[in-house]
Amino acid sequence: MAAEQKLMSVRRDWRERDVRVVLAALVIAVATVATIALFASQLQRTLVTSASSFLAADRQLEAENGRPIPDTWLQEADARNLETGQMVEFSTMVFGGGGFQLVSVKAVSNEYPLRGEIEVQSGPDSPRELVQTGPKPGEVWINPRLLRLLELEIGDALEVGNRELTVSGLLIREPDGGFRLSALAPRVMMHQSDVESTGVIQEGSRVEYVYLFAGEESSLESYYQWLQPRLEPSHEWEGVRDGETFSRSLERAERFLLLGGSLAVLLAAVAVAVASRQYALSQRDTVALLKTLGLNGAGIGRLYLRRLVLWGITGMVGGLLVAIPLFWLLASMLSDVLERPVDIHLDPAALMPALLTALVSLFAFAYPPIRRLRNVPAMRVLRSQPGESGREAWPDMLVAIVAIFGLVWLYAGELALVLSLLGGLALLLASLALLGWGLVTALRRIRGGGNAWRLALVGLYRHRNASLSQIAVFAMTLMLAATLVLVRTSLLNDWQAQLPEDAPNHFLINIAPDTVDEVAGFWEQQGQPLEELYPMVRGRLTELNGEPVKEAVSKDERIGALNRELNLTWMASLPEDNEIIDGQWFADSVQTGVSVEAELAERLGLKLGDRLTFTIGSEKITEPVTSIRTVQWDSMKPNFYMAFPPGGALEGLPATWITSFYLPPQKKTALNAFSRQFPTVSVLEIDHIIGRIQEIVQQVTRAIEAILALILAAALVVMAAVVSATLRDRQREGALLRTLGGRQTLLVRSTMLEFAVLGGFAGFLGVVAAEAAVYALQFRMFEGSFSWHWQVIVPIPVISAIVLSLFGRWQLRPVLSVSPMLLLRRLE
Amino acid sequence: MNQMTNPTAENQPPMLRAQDLTHRVRLETDTLTILQGVNLEINRGESVAIVGRSGSGKTTLLGLLAGLDTPTEGSVELDGATISQLGEDERARLRASRVGFVFQSFQLLPALTALENVMLPLELAGFEEPEKRARELLERVGLGERLTHTPRQLSGGEQQRVAIARAFASDPVVLFADEPTGNLDNRTGQAVSDLLMALNREQGTTLVMVTHDEHLAARCSRQFHIEAGQLTEPEALGEPVS
Repeated sequence: MAAEQKLMSVRRDWRERDVRVVLAALVIAVATVATIALFASQLQRTLVTSASSFLAADRQLEAENGRPIPDTWLQEADARNLETGQMVEFSTMVFGGGGFQLVSVKAVSNEYPLRGEIEVQSGPDSPRELVQTGPKPGEVWINPRLLRLLELEIGDALEVGNRELTVSGLLIREPDGGFRLSALAPRVMMHQSDVESTGVIQEGSRVEYVYLFAGEESSLESYYQWLQPRLEPSHEWEGVRDGETFSRSLERAERFLLLGGSLAVLLAAVAVAVASRQYALSQRDTVALLKTLGLNGAGIGRLYLRRLVLWGITGMVGGLLVAIPLFWLLASMLSDVLERPVDIHLDPAALMPALLTALVSLFAFAYPPIRRLRNVPAMRVLRSQPGESGREAWPDMLVAIVAIFGLVWLYAGELALVLSLLGGLALLLASLALLGWGLVTALRRIRGGGNAWRLALVGLYRHRNASLSQIAVFAMTLMLAATLVLVRTSLLNDWQAQLPEDAPNHFLINIAPDTVDEVAGFWEQQGQPLEELYPMVRGRLTELNGEPVKEAVSKDERIGALNRELNLTWMASLPEDNEIIDGQWFADSVQTGVSVEAELAERLGLKLGDRLTFTIGSEKITEPVTSIRTVQWDSMKPNFYMAFPPGGALEGLPATWITSFYLPPQKKTALNAFSRQFPTVSVLEIDHIIGRIQEIVQQVTRAIEAILALILAAALVVMAAVVSATLRDRQREGALLRTLGGRQTLLVRSTMLEFAVLGGFAGFLGVVAAEAAVYALQFRMFEGSFSWHWQVIVPIPVISAIVLSLFGRWQLRPVLSVSPMLLLRRLE
Repeated sequence: MNQMTNPTAENQPPMLRAQDLTHRVRLETDTLTILQGVNLEINRGESVAIVGRSGSGKTTLLGLLAGLDTPTEGSVELDGATISQLGEDERARLRASRVGFVFQSFQLLPALTALENVMLPLELAGFEEPEKRARELLERVGLGERLTHTPRQLSGGEQQRVAIARAFASDPVVLFADEPTGNLDNRTGQAVSDLLMALNREQGTTLVMVTHDEHLAARCSRQFHIEAGQLTEPEALGEPVS
């Protein structure tokens, strides 16, 4: 076996062009998949951290019963290495400057916030800054509107209960400024240690204690497992994933990254398959020679298997050596975009898919043609034998396709994605078969001549098998790339459509029924008309079909909606962005029934006709479910789990009205006049939250674009690999054509034309297949609507034609620069 | 001119003339001289064999005479045109219209059928009915039944016959052959050289052939020996050809 050992030299392998291509394909495969996985994992962490800052922590525990939680609970969290922080929220009247004002106080401990930053100003005209801690003891930060309402200045005193505190800053934005109903009045932030001395909190006061937790996901989870049995109904455990505003955007971004990763896996497999097949072809003479020298089929099998393992190791190591620096670069770019340092975390688990991709590409795609080498007859040494017909390769192809889509499934965990891509691919192959037939029939008639066009078309016809397989690979590559481009575009459009410039950024809550018209009139006059106004009744869902709801629903389900009062409403018509998915919206005269939000209905296992009982104050009402509808939680408009018909069970119960509207920054002062005229109406300012969402969308967009660029680069490499697979033949042909008197310009023109036709066809097929895949993906995964994308259907074939003809020109280079004689000798 | 039949027309300029032909190749460390001061004249209709050992420079000389490469020094005239002064495209045009080639390793394009291989130079030269002419030639070389076969489906002798058909396809005035029987067994080689000579006679082509096959060389009207880049004509009593 010494001969075998000698034949196993990586250095010797490296001298072979095809081996270099296989290795490059492997390195790119591992590098792309690893970079995407690492970056996706990093982005996930960053996004969760960003989104966590909406809670100012990873998790929050709210105690709505006005009592602090037992100290042991916090000690348990400490013992599990979780960071903790506390805050107390309550409403009270404050006195200062010009008068009294009802405010919403948030008293925070030193640790607040565990995640995110507080945005403050040291004076009305000072620059905004981000800080990591709340006010010091003895100081308060107040909402700028309160400063104007009370005609205060920085440094003035503000009386909170019995305590006088110094106004030391303006609170612009708090990281957890969500839609908490207690946070309606202007905000005052103070230190927790000052709370007792104010004397505001008495037995029975309406106070909310909120506890913040942050740390490793696993610790948080195990802590919750510990905590869960101890929680009372008034305790609510909140995580990022429960936050309705964000979860959807996050989910889509994650899916996009997974899609990108999956496409990278497929592209890598294509590249490895093309290059290794080429390698196997070029090895046939060597194998025949080895057989002549006495090596048997098994020995040859072993020889090439060992070689494959060696390549695998080289590819993995090489790929990781590329991926890790690239990942660092991307992660630090992310830091720049976010304008704050990102805690770079190299997740070892994220490397697994990359290594698995290398293994699967090698053994499902590279191994079969190389394995068949052992069947090469020794006779080949003496006389060239017919090559394989390709028919033997079919079963292998099937295995390979199953393997690779299995890998995608494993990687993305989405059957829908796998099926969409497979469907697109099937369509592509079908059209290709049709095209192949058309090509043969149409081009058969064309006769050659000195004209570049005719020469190009004759070339296409004569190399029809090679041309078709090249079109197949190009089209597949373009399909994958185009799918990603299309999904990206529609994803971004959806986001932009969700949060247009003039998305409502203020809520008006607690509008008394008799002032509804006046309030609407006020904003009408300001030129900022209100969106739809909805009545709101607070009530709890207590029974389901006569059974207490907590017993009717499985204990495993943590359903926040059951733990707190729900906002109930009645409405005559379905809001524009809601959609009925089961049952029917209330007919005009109908006064019974309730329409339930789809996700809640699913979690509660509700179906049409189930009777829901709500407890509202001391009253109980029971209504059957008559429709189930989806709600756009991130629409920044009032949204309701439960809607009743006008004149139905809710009418007559004490209600207040709620609405939202858009107020541009320059008109914010109008809020002062409004608050004076309607002191009981609460204004919820969410313009900062919207800004934050837009910022996150922007950062995800950048990441998506970076990944898109990576994938497109990978696609380009696949195409280069395919083109260079026929390099030798094409160069020989070029050299011969020149020897036989073909002029350089003719050669260049006909080659470029031939490739342009190839590229154009491939581009068109790829785009059509991509449309099909996107059509499927759009419905299942991204919940968007589908329309034809003319903006890619036209340019992609054109671009691919141009790129490929340039590739063609590039591979002709040696043919043009060297004397034909030298070239023929070299290629012999 | 293509139909020129008088092989020794004294009043016409020679078909090929090489003057002080020197060719050097630059290697990494020094320069290798492959041809040194070669002078040569070949008249119309002559058949010339250039004989020499491997590495003597005979194939290089053939390439320079055919305009596939340009010499470091000296000049080559082909049919009155100084090809060593022509640009690449002009030389290509000259090759397309007046030169044919036969190679030791056949140089057929593997993806193309026999017919398509023969059609290739006709298409490049812009012939009106390339297929008709190609068919005729393949029938002439005895491959009328193998038109749609690809080189892989043909034996070595058959492949070389396709190559010969291709070489004569565009009515060249001069045919260059590089070891045309080098890859073939004796009997096949004999048949191929018979065919080559016969076609050469029929078409009145000037034949320049590089070979180390003494028998084949003996069938040519003149023979040159090449050794270490120096050309001699034994028939001219060992003196360099002037």
